[in-house]
Amino acid sequence: MDNKNIILNVKDLEVTFNAGNKKFVAVSDVNFDVYEGETFSLVGESGSGKTTIGRAIIRINPISNGEIIFKGKKISGKISRELDKWVIRNIQMVFQDPAASLNERATIDYIVSEGLYNFHLYENEENRIRKVEKALTDVGLLQEHMTRYPHEFSGGQRQRIGIARAMIMEPSLLVADEPISALDVSIRAQVLNLLKDLQRNTGLTCIFVAHDLSVVRYISDRIAVIHKGRIVELAPTEELFKNSLHPYTLSLLSAVPLPDPEIEKNKKLIIYDEAIHDYVNFKPSWQEVKPGHWLWANEPEMVEYRKKVK
Amino acid sequence: MENKFKLVKLEEQASEHILAPNYSYWKSVFRRFFSSKVAIFMFIISAIIILMSAIYPLFVPYSPSYTPNINDFATRFIRPNLEYLFGTDNVGNSLFDAIWSGTRNSLAIAFTATAITTILGVTVGAFWGFSKRIDKFMLEVYNIAANIPFTLLVIVLMYILGRGMWQLIFALSVTSWLTTAYFIRVQVMIIRDREYNLASRCLGTPTHRIITHNILPQLISVIVTAISRDVPTFISYEVFLGYLGMGLTQSDASLGRMISDYSQYISSASYLFWLPVCISAIIAVSLYVVGQTLADASDPRTHFI
Amino acid sequence: MEKNVVLSARDIEVKFKVRSRTLTAVRNISLDLYDGETLAIVGESGSGKSVFTKTFTGMLDSNGSVTNGEILFKGQDLVKIKNDKEWEQLRGKKISTIFQDPMTSLNPVRTIGYQIIEVIMKHQGKTKTEAKKLAIELMDRVGITDAAKRFDEYPFQYSGGMRQRIVIAISLACRPEILICDEPTTALDVTIQAQIIKLIKDLQVEYKFTTVYITHDLGVVANVADKVAVMYAGQIVEYGTVEDIFYRPKHPYTWALLSSLPQLGVKGKDLYAIVGTPPSLYEEVVGDAFAPRNPYAMQIDFEEEPPFFQISKTHRAKTWLLDPRAPKVDPPIEIQNLHERLMAIAGEEGGGYHG
Repeated sequence: MDNKNIILNVKDLEVTFNAGNKKFVAVSDVNFDVYEGETFSLVGESGSGKTTIGRAIIRINPISNGEIIFKGKKISGKISRELDKWVIRNIQMVFQDPAASLNERATIDYIVSEGLYNFHLYENEENRIRKVEKALTDVGLLQEHMTRYPHEFSGGQRQRIGIARAMIMEPSLLVADEPISALDVSIRAQVLNLLKDLQRNTGLTCIFVAHDLSVVRYISDRIAVIHKGRIVELAPTEELFKNSLHPYTLSLLSAVPLPDPEIEKNKKLIIYDEAIHDYVNFKPSWQEVKPGHWLWANEPEMVEYRKKVK
Repeated sequence: MENKFKLVKLEEQASEHILAPNYSYWKSVFRRFFSSKVAIFMFIISAIIILMSAIYPLFVPYSPSYTPNINDFATRFIRPNLEYLFGTDNVGNSLFDAIWSGTRNSLAIAFTATAITTILGVTVGAFWGFSKRIDKFMLEVYNIAANIPFTLLVIVLMYILGRGMWQLIFALSVTSWLTTAYFIRVQVMIIRDREYNLASRCLGTPTHRIITHNILPQLISVIVTAISRDVPTFISYEVFLGYLGMGLTQSDASLGRMISDYSQYISSASYLFWLPVCISAIIAVSLYVVGQTLADASDPRTHFI
Repeated sequence: MEKNVVLSARDIEVKFKVRSRTLTAVRNISLDLYDGETLAIVGESGSGKSVFTKTFTGMLDSNGSVTNGEILFKGQDLVKIKNDKEWEQLRGKKISTIFQDPMTSLNPVRTIGYQIIEVIMKHQGKTKTEAKKLAIELMDRVGITDAAKRFDEYPFQYSGGMRQRIVIAISLACRPEILICDEPTTALDVTIQAQIIKLIKDLQVEYKFTTVYITHDLGVVANVADKVAVMYAGQIVEYGTVEDIFYRPKHPYTWALLSSLPQLGVKGKDLYAIVGTPPSLYEEVVGDAFAPRNPYAMQIDFEEEPPFFQISKTHRAKTWLLDPRAPKVDPPIEIQNLHERLMAIAGEEGGGYHG
């Protein structure tokens, strides 16, 4: 592929919740790499496990199997405090719900400075205030907002505060967990542009977790489609949209509404039925159908896909 | 006429300004509190009672065992009049003096016990709710301890420790703090996994700061509710125990003991019985109402209605 | 072909008392609902779209009231209804509402079957056995497999999509004339959303009701709507058939909504984004509410509120740009040739758009 560096490497990831007979395997057999400076999207419906993967990378969820390697160092499982601090400085997260992701009883000043306080990343009070002001103006907010409380802002502004809070740490990897799903449509573009600008200016790598394929097409370089805890298809963006092979991906694409009355009123829905896969007799695995285009499939299916691929 | 139909340049930041005045938490709390006429009324009543019981006994001390008029039969059983506002009792002591001293003791005990219970309960409860390891252990303790009737435990403790103010405070606190801790633990568990706390963990905020900055401020309303429940409860317990002849010593003024001692005069000198009863009831109720209204006012969600 | 008007709202104004301030959530809306059609109301949070439809069923919060206007439905002015008893004759029977979150619309401690027959028995006076038969038929019709068995299950045993189907079944149990769908699929996955939208469309044809669809998703609007009302800051700013709105939009806010769609984004270029935030409706709005965020704003937009300009028999927009004195402006480049560009996208996407 390209001569880009791999900044994140996820191998055979498995995440299980609870134990014993209440055991629930949220994510299994997940393998992917993320290149430096790209936007990598995880797309799936609710309960698919995409948020779990994002949270496993940032170490909120413990993993039950597999490895996560960041900039060459293993960051999954039990790690030293030094390494944990290094991870916090380098990987940050933006959360989905602007109403719940900010501390309602703290000022914007405290919220944005929280990371700075934790690691004493400023020389003196003046320097700290300067950093907060810059973080706020970088996301399109005003300095006067520092003394206000979250509930005085709109959803889009709150989400930008969340981004400022993460970016003030100057991370190299940002995990954005459905950052625009809870926002109004006209505000989504604002936040997407903001993320793209930040990437351009700082060389930030972004893992974008989403359920909306149309958003993902605009913002991503590569996309992984997740269904019930497994990645079923992974490919560069245009390849995925023009050349999708897995039946789940096809049903997802057909379900996404296009803003055109003539197209929508004549559309035929494709419904995905898991029963078409025979994984009992033919075990599936993670394989490439062409360079960069991966599929979760068994041998008979791979034969079909190779015939269909353009 | 100036052409109003010319295109105007768009000022990008114009709509980012927030026009509403700055929000202040405590100002909003007090505004909501004082918007209730009932709360203001109860607040004034409890303020009067608290001030009277704090100041009056400093000037006019009283003790049931100090009976200077005991041989002067003329001073006994005087009905309330301008000289003796609440009348006198069977040994010629002024009921007015007695009641304020008694109330002072009740309030001192209730506030001290509440303070201890709250500080201990909130501190333990916060860490209990946060740490899964502590939770496993504490739940076992709680499940056993919570099943022992509170009243029984206090009575047994008072038997063992003997009578007196500090003994009573100890007995009340030691049995109540666990309930408060459990209550706080439940609230903390509800809030603990909210996204803003996850965000703080991702930023590396240590547990103690998450508790003080993220969780406790949300719990102010809940804590005030607990306090507003505990103070009247402890007042009632002191009265109840005093009635049983436990609690404070013979020489301490006690509303409960007064009610017990004077119940025999309920037909002959009824004021002796009813006045302590009324004062106990009034102080308990008014403090409760003030506490509940304050709790409601401290809930930030009520500021946005 | 002229359709009948089934509900007519004129000059509606809705105000809320919040502490010491007044919020004017709906500022002068007039609208007609045509029999058998689907009207989509598009707007963002704070536009007043939910509040407006709540006036049809008397479900405004207690601190809100309709301070002006009339709503004519079957010869009655709904604004004049003061007590709950009168509303009960309408709500659920003639005008039903489906909300966004099916979990909070259903009673968690009653079985699904009970909740459906309760409504049937109350409004149609049927016996329990008759009601149960009707209920199972309904459940079947909305796509619940094994309806007879699932009749006795509880809401928590149903998935989100199935719960929404039950909510639809309950709403239709009394054959209402108007069904209001307040963002019914926003909380659902996109594949389930597509199925629910199709279900509502099919049921509309079969049961013959008028639908009001509240949403912020233009893709959904394109799928379901016959007529579209675009709302901003408590007013309708553009109204027309769905083709008028998508292929021939005239209001800068509609342009902005269409332009900011990610499907129209070009990699490497910024998405068209509307700057700023909607205005606070606690303050009185002077002029055009969209002016501070409108790249096509003129001086007069800040001074006087624009009237409606009729563009065609079905299409009208509330913008000074349609005044003959205004300069001629083209819609943003992102939405020129919208139809052609989307057809091109639909054609190349892997397998989905045959037909």
